[in-house]
Amino acid sequence: MLLAIDTSAGSSAAVFVDDELLSFVSIEDPFGHAENIGNVIAQALGEAKVSHTKISAIAIGRGPAPYTGLRVGMATGLAMAETLKVPTFGVVALDAVSMLYANQKEFVVVSDAKRRQLFARSYRSVGPEVIPTPTSAPEVFEPAEISERFPGLEVFQTPCSAKEVGHYAFAAMREGIDLSDTGALYLRSPDVSPSAGKRVTG
Amino acid sequence: MISTSRLSATDLAQVMVLENQTFSEHAWSEDSMAAELDSPNTHYLGLWKSQRLIGYAGAASAPGSFSADIQTIAIASDERGHGYGRRLMQELLIWSKSVGAEQVMLEVRADNPAAIKLYRSLGFEQIDLRKRYYQPGDIDALVMRLEIQQPVVLGIESTCDETGVGIVKGNRLLANALHSSMDEHAKYGGVVPEVAARAHLEAIQPTLRKALAEANLTIDQVDAIAVANGPGLAGAVMVGIGAAKGIAIANDKPIYAVNHLVAHVGADVLERGAVQLPTIALLVSGGHTSLLLVRDLLNDVVLLGETIDDAAGEAFDKVARVLGLPYPGGPQIDKAAINGNPNAIRFPRGLTLPKDMEKHRYDFSFSGLKTAVARHVEKHQDANEEFSVADVAASFREAVVDVLLTKALAAAEEFQVPRLVLGGGVVANARLREEAKRRCDKAGVELRIPRFALCTDNGAMIAALGAQLIMAGREPSGMSFGADSTLEVTQVQSF
Repeated sequence: MLLAIDTSAGSSAAVFVDDELLSFVSIEDPFGHAENIGNVIAQALGEAKVSHTKISAIAIGRGPAPYTGLRVGMATGLAMAETLKVPTFGVVALDAVSMLYANQKEFVVVSDAKRRQLFARSYRSVGPEVIPTPTSAPEVFEPAEISERFPGLEVFQTPCSAKEVGHYAFAAMREGIDLSDTGALYLRSPDVSPSAGKRVTG
Repeated sequence: MISTSRLSATDLAQVMVLENQTFSEHAWSEDSMAAELDSPNTHYLGLWKSQRLIGYAGAASAPGSFSADIQTIAIASDERGHGYGRRLMQELLIWSKSVGAEQVMLEVRADNPAAIKLYRSLGFEQIDLRKRYYQPGDIDALVMRLEIQQPVVLGIESTCDETGVGIVKGNRLLANALHSSMDEHAKYGGVVPEVAARAHLEAIQPTLRKALAEANLTIDQVDAIAVANGPGLAGAVMVGIGAAKGIAIANDKPIYAVNHLVAHVGADVLERGAVQLPTIALLVSGGHTSLLLVRDLLNDVVLLGETIDDAAGEAFDKVARVLGLPYPGGPQIDKAAINGNPNAIRFPRGLTLPKDMEKHRYDFSFSGLKTAVARHVEKHQDANEEFSVADVAASFREAVVDVLLTKALAAAEEFQVPRLVLGGGVVANARLREEAKRRCDKAGVELRIPRFALCTDNGAMIAALGAQLIMAGREPSGMSFGADSTLEVTQVQSF
């Protein structure tokens, strides 16, 4: 049984058995991740009528996404996996969403990066139910830059959730894609620069 | 109407009447009984029928011993056979558990089958026989013991730059694993919230693993999870909350959200088995400078004052930078101050003037002090004058220590509380410890400083406060609590 957790937009959890979605619980509140994460997981396990002891793998969305919220779900999943001694799969949010558009030829997936910017990555489709091949690295853009950088490509902005994260994890296992990186995908460095110290007198 | 209440020396006369009736020639003297009733390490309960004392019982537990002793129990001869002895014993066992005892011992006369039966039914087992212990009469004593299972609690701390996972069993420290991101903050000269939060996420798995290994436990052997939900850096706290909720769900454990600052005060239970109360607590770190009056760790914590600008540890960092010394500033200033004259420069003591004292009697301010040091240094540098870094460091440090301890001891005096417990990373400062000792000795105030690993931010103190809540019978926090960066000290547990 796979438990998928994602806090890239709202807070959500999904329970799968063999790629079949048994339950999906999402709270869309973009701020209450710390408050909501436990409830969505507990509820998803409850609705799927499976015991926490049956969890055999955990998939976590690793962004890119606003980091404060993203880290909550990641910390939850990592701590669960550590104490349950089960493997963790790290899923890039944009890649997970790209699965929804596997019927398109070439396209771009974007998500909210705050500060009026977008995270974006382009893909080329291989076929239905197959993971689209990324054709660029995930990056941060000004909205206006997207059409310049990816001319002619259709742009999709669908928030990621545990459902997409879980489906992607199964597809990646089938296709032998490595999901062992379970660190947050940071596309910005910490917003700070070393200060030399200011004078206090004139 | 039968009721119980805690006895004190004011009940001595009634206790002695019953004591003499019950034990006649073996009765304790009035002086011994008075000392028992008054001791901070005992708990005596009286059983009242209207205004008449019809029974009493007492237990004792020396702090840090993990063991409690039933000292005595007496029921008036005309009131026996109603289960009153059992009622008193049960309350004493609850108290024994709450102070961290892992076993309760008692001695009972071999010719008192009713008492032996009562103790057996409460779970006591005979572990020894003392021949001819009660004289005269050559009566043997049975030594009996009840084992108490104290809760094993795993605590997570992530309110600033330390990722801590600690494990306790009741008041016993089993593990205190720590990962610090301090080095990553060095180039910025202070803790950067985003850097701290990133480091917590990376450190949570290895720190968790290390703590369980150190305690030699599996997660199944843990009874509950505790996590600091504030005060602190919100983004950092949230990583700890996420991890704690994950462990709780994955392993079906109750979770307790606890106050980071109160946990600093409670850390002393891991040293001495109990926090002696009431006490003044002075918590000084890079993030906090708080003066607390603690009458009861779980029910009565009052914030007397706190810094209105920089935390004391922050002032050390900023002054170190003014002096061209690296981060973190505390140890650097300590080193630079060796051979310095603490009285060379009279730097200002923030919020100590009469006009400030009206409004900010127990508050602190260090930003003016930092500016005064910077002015002093710049004045000399601009004039190309030599100046003694040692004197500046020593004089600055003296100003910080002076104002911290003056206010802490003023609080001890005003509230008639003869105890002071220190906590927070600035306690590492040698001069603060030395001067605290000197001034407390002079004022007749008992000074407590937990070992350094329990003074700085750590997971063990979070676990210990969680255990205290459980030992006091508190309900878990549920799953819906969040981070509260400005959590008040009056809120020991969040829901």
